Amino acid sequence: MFLTFAILALAGALALLLQKNAIEAGLCMALSFLGVSGLFVLLGNPVAAALQIIVYAGAILILVLFVIMLLNSHEEEPAEVSRPIQRWGSVALVAVLGLGAFRLLNGSPALAELAAKPVTGASTNLHSLGDMLFSQHLLGFEVAGFLLLAAMIGAVALVKKNL
Amino acid sequence: METLASLLHTSPATAWMAVKVLMAFGLIMGIAPPLTWAERRGSAMIQDRIGPNRAALFGKIRILGLVQALADGVKFFFKEDLVPPHANKRLFWLAPLLAFVPAMLGFAVIPMGRSFLSGGTEYHLSLLDPGNGMGMLFPMAVGAMAVYGILVAAWSSNNKWAILGGMRASAQMVSYEVGLSLAVIAIFMVTGGYDPHEIVKAQQGTFLGVLPNWYVFRQPFGFLVFFVCMFAEANRLPFDFAEGESEIVAGFHIEYGSMKFALIGLAEYGHILGASALITTMYLGGWGIPFVADHGQIPVIVTFLVFLTKVIALCLVFIWVRWTLPRFRYDQLMNLGWKKLLPISMANLLYFAYRMRG
Repeated sequence: MFLTFAILALAGALALLLQKNAIEAGLCMALSFLGVSGLFVLLGNPVAAALQIIVYAGAILILVLFVIMLLNSHEEEPAEVSRPIQRWGSVALVAVLGLGAFRLLNGSPALAELAAKPVTGASTNLHSLGDMLFSQHLLGFEVAGFLLLAAMIGAVALVKKNL
Repeated sequence: METLASLLHTSPATAWMAVKVLMAFGLIMGIAPPLTWAERRGSAMIQDRIGPNRAALFGKIRILGLVQALADGVKFFFKEDLVPPHANKRLFWLAPLLAFVPAMLGFAVIPMGRSFLSGGTEYHLSLLDPGNGMGMLFPMAVGAMAVYGILVAAWSSNNKWAILGGMRASAQMVSYEVGLSLAVIAIFMVTGGYDPHEIVKAQQGTFLGVLPNWYVFRQPFGFLVFFVCMFAEANRLPFDFAEGESEIVAGFHIEYGSMKFALIGLAEYGHILGASALITTMYLGGWGIPFVADHGQIPVIVTFLVFLTKVIALCLVFIWVRWTLPRFRYDQLMNLGWKKLLPISMANLLYFAYRMRG
C-alpha cells in the first residue's frame, strides 16, 4: 500500500515537471495530491487526507487550472537563450535541499516515536485535530489565518480600481 | 450472514462487503435509468407535452415509454465512438471516467439502513464502517473531485463552447463549496461528531413535540444553503452553467457521443442520487423513521426502504426544480453564492456556536 501511494505521489510530481502542457501538468499534480492523501491515511490521519483532497485538489488546483484556461497559453514557451548554468544550479539546489530535508526528517523525534509504536487504524479525528490546533498550535493557527486575510485584502486592493 | 459466508467460502466480513458493494452499485445503476425516464416524462408533464411513448418491447409492450431508457442504452452502445481530430485524445478518453468515478464513490459512507447484529458481530449498511475517521469529509472530498471530470472533458474537447462551460463550472463549484462546508460544520457541531451514523442517530425522536427531530427543522437556514449548494454541485438547473444548452450549445460535453456521453450522463444522475442521499442523511434523518426514537425493533429492510423513499423523493424534487426554474445569469450566480448563501451560512454557524457556549 505504501509503495503504491508513494509511487503515485512521486510519479505525479515527476510528470508535473516533465510535462510541457500546462493543463496536463496540473492534472499530474492532482494525481500527486491523491498519492499524498493516501499516505496520510496510512499514517492514521484520515482527516488530513480528506482535507488534502478538499483543499488542495478540490479548490486550489481547480482555481489554478481555471486561470490557466483563462490565459489561453497552454504550451510551455521555449527560452530565448539557453543558460546551462541555470540547469546545473537547479540540480545543485535540489541536491542540497533534498539532503537537508532528509537529515531534518531523520532526526525528528516523531519519526523515532513512529518506529517504536507503529500506527494502527485511524488515530486522528476531527476532535483531536481541533483540540490540537486551538491549544498547542494556537499562535501558529492565528498567524496563518491573519496571513491569509492579509493576502486576501491585498488581492482585492490590487484588483479594485476604486475602493 | 454466516450461512451466506459459508456458501461463498469466505469470511462473514468479506461476504458482507460484497453484498454492500453490490447494493450501492446496484442502487445507482438501478435508479439512474428510471430517473432519465422520470425526467423526460416529468418534463413533458410539466410542459403539457406527452414525452417519449413510442419505444416498445417486441413492438407491443409500451409501459408509458419506460422502454425508452433501454432503447437509449442499446443506441449508445452501437453508435460510432468519435474522437474529434483536434481534441487531446488521452484526456478525451479519461474525462468520462473522471466524471463517473466520483459520482459512484460518494455513496461509500452513507448508511443505507439500520446497523444490525448477527452472530455476535455488528454489521453496518455503509461501505465504510463508522469510526473510520473520514466520516462526512469523504463525500465532500469526492464531490470536490467531481469537477475534474467536467474540466478535463471541457478542455480536452478543444472547443470554445466546451471551454466556456468548463470554466464556468470550475468557478461555480469552488464558490459554492465554501457556503456548503460552513453549513455542514454547524451540523457537526450540534451532533458532536462527523460520522454519518452519528448524524443519523442524532436525528431520531421528535422536535418541539410535533416535528420529527430532523436537522431540516432544527437548522432551517443551514438546510437552505446546503440544498441550494447541492444543486450547484450536481450541476443541475438553475445552476447548470457547465451545460447551458441555450447559451453554449451543450457546454462541456458538446463533443461527446456514444458510450462516453452515456457515462457522462450516468455521472450526472449519479450526482443527483449522491446529493439526494447526502441531503437525506444530513437533514432528513437518513434511514430513521420520523418520530421513532428507538429503532431497535424495526426490521432492517424497513429502514432501508425509508432511506430509499426519501432519496427517490428528493431526486424527483431535483427534476421538478429543473423544469420549473430558469437558469441564473453568471453574475447572479456569483452574487447568490458569495453575498447571500455564504453570509447566511456563517450566521447559522455563529448562532449554533453561540448556543453551544459552555
